[in-house]
Amino acid sequence: MKKNGVKMIKINSKNVDVFYGKKQALFNINLDIEENQVTALIGPSGCGKSTFLRCLNRMNDVIDICRVKGQIIINDFDINDKSCDVVRLREKIGMVFQKPNPFPKTIYENISYGPTIHGMAQSKNEMDEIVETSLKKAALWEEVKDRLHEPGTGLSGGQQQRLCIARAISVKPEVILMDEPCSALDPIATAQIEELIDELKKDHTIIIVTHSMAQAARVSQNTGFFHLGELIEHGSTDKIFKNPENKKTQDYITGRFG
Amino acid sequence: MNLILFTFIVLLGFTSYYFGRRKAYTIQSTNKRLTALPQFYGYYLAIWCAIPAFIIFSLWAIFEPTIVKLLILSDYSNQGYLDDELNLIYEKTKALSRGQFTGEITPFIEASAEKYLSLRSIAQSSKAVIVLSIIIASVAYAYKKISSNSKTREPVEKFFKAVLFTASLAAILTTVGIVFSLIFQTIDFFKVIPLFDFVFGTHWYPAKAFVRDSSEALDPTMYSDTFGAVPIFAGTFFIAFIAMCVAIPIGLMSGIYLAEYASVKVRQYAKPLIEILAGIPTVVYGFFAALTVGPFLKEIGNSMGLDVSAESALAAGGVMGIMIIPFISSLSDDVITSVPQSLRDGSYAMGATKSETIKKVIFPAALPGIVGSILLGVSRAIGETMIVVMASGLAANLTLNPLESTSTITAQIVVILIGDQAFGDPKTQAAFALGMSLFLVTLCLNIVALRVVKKYREKYE
Repeated sequence: MKKNGVKMIKINSKNVDVFYGKKQALFNINLDIEENQVTALIGPSGCGKSTFLRCLNRMNDVIDICRVKGQIIINDFDINDKSCDVVRLREKIGMVFQKPNPFPKTIYENISYGPTIHGMAQSKNEMDEIVETSLKKAALWEEVKDRLHEPGTGLSGGQQQRLCIARAISVKPEVILMDEPCSALDPIATAQIEELIDELKKDHTIIIVTHSMAQAARVSQNTGFFHLGELIEHGSTDKIFKNPENKKTQDYITGRFG
Repeated sequence: MNLILFTFIVLLGFTSYYFGRRKAYTIQSTNKRLTALPQFYGYYLAIWCAIPAFIIFSLWAIFEPTIVKLLILSDYSNQGYLDDELNLIYEKTKALSRGQFTGEITPFIEASAEKYLSLRSIAQSSKAVIVLSIIIASVAYAYKKISSNSKTREPVEKFFKAVLFTASLAAILTTVGIVFSLIFQTIDFFKVIPLFDFVFGTHWYPAKAFVRDSSEALDPTMYSDTFGAVPIFAGTFFIAFIAMCVAIPIGLMSGIYLAEYASVKVRQYAKPLIEILAGIPTVVYGFFAALTVGPFLKEIGNSMGLDVSAESALAAGGVMGIMIIPFISSLSDDVITSVPQSLRDGSYAMGATKSETIKKVIFPAALPGIVGSILLGVSRAIGETMIVVMASGLAANLTLNPLESTSTITAQIVVILIGDQAFGDPKTQAAFALGMSLFLVTLCLNIVALRVVKKYREKYE
């Protein structure tokens, strides 16, 4: 989205290095993420694109041996700063994982989980409304409205992933991180999710890691290409796919390696 | 003698393995393709050695004693002895031949003993000759038979399957045997004592059954109010309840700590340390309860003006709980660790804290497994013997006061079966009836526990 022709930057990362133990996984990443746009991160396996994604909501904290250096500034605030409250950060930055991971609870409880933790609903009615809007936004409401109190694990793979998206948007995050959200799904479910991503970018900034170049081209406005822990090139998706500056990018996009 | 023979057969087995393999190599060297690896030819010959040996040994073990006995007793057959007397003579003969006979030695018996010894030595040497010749014959036959296209792999595979099957059969048959021995004695018991009196009677006083002189006829009415099992069932469940009150919270919390909070290093040392608790013999727990915890509780109670028995249900139950901690902590640790990381990630990514994640996602997901581990703990608590025998008293009080002494099924079985006891006496059979009830209770608990655990496994596979 542009205001007065100037791109609004939502996330600004400066000199980000990531280490797993002694091994360095990311080298000096500088990447700006535009607000209310879809940014795709592409690159061969093990190139660090998922690691970078997990830096943005500090999910790497969960891994004992992982250290992150550099600045990641969201809303003028460095999330790697000691004063950053991870709980608030993750409320603002939701995440959808590669494999659908609904909690072994009912569909309703899966959605109400986040709002309960963050105390967002004062009454049962409010919670019902949050659940309904989240499911509607995730294009799942029509399919599950009659069985909200059945286990979420009983849904099909594509439905489960949309349930996870609904769960992520239930707390109205500003940014949604998606780590290969379609890799475990069939083409029809993938198409539904892609359509949904396009819809969601009105209200959220979306960063998606994907292995499918076609998907990156379909859903994203901006693309970053990672290789061996480095950000080789980034820019508008149009430019990256039609007119890449770097030879490696061109080779990867044309399928010559990766 | 048998040992030497056995060693010899084992050596023969190795030799035939070696010959089989060598023959296979020889065939291979003539550029013929074998149907199996050379080892299989070796195993095949070794099996041809093992099976005949096994068959002859078992037949010998079954028939030798009977035949020897017949031969010995044939000397006495025309002298009008009764069967019982003949058996006695035979036992005396055997004892004398071993040099363990202490009574008066008659020339007859002495002659029989000598004959017995000579028969045994004939039997031994003929066994050796027969076994060895049959083995050599069978191995030689098989050796000649094997060729480049003979099937050796299939029989070898079948043999291994049969060996494994026999092993599992032995375990199952033992269980069945134990159950049957319990069942028959229990049925006999309930012929004298009505089931109703046993299940609903509130007086357990088996010492009363001692009064009977064995020459007197069995009079069921004298056992009324003797074998009412309610107090000891109540005692059993009460002590198990106290034990679980200690074991569940501590075990569960330490399990959660180990699985979710402990660093790799802490876990590495803490887990084995907790599991040491499981390695302490229950006798040690028993005297810890009886000599340390019991008197300690009594003193504290007395100083507060409470009347505490030195052998209290609390002491026994508490110590039993400590014994069960490692089972619950270790099992629930395993169950919690096996909850997929993706669920944790999902919860953290929603902004949940660690304790919220544990409470709301991990614990519910692991609950079936945790319930399973608790049920296994309960069945251990109910079956535990040594601690209650030593620390909870032997008088069957019907009480719910943890400070009084009470008794359990296992402790009563010990009380009944220690010292002299007569088979066929209701008092002895009462132990079997108790054992049967104990078996049924723990069986049900184990079945439920396994079901629950299985259901949990299906969910994530």
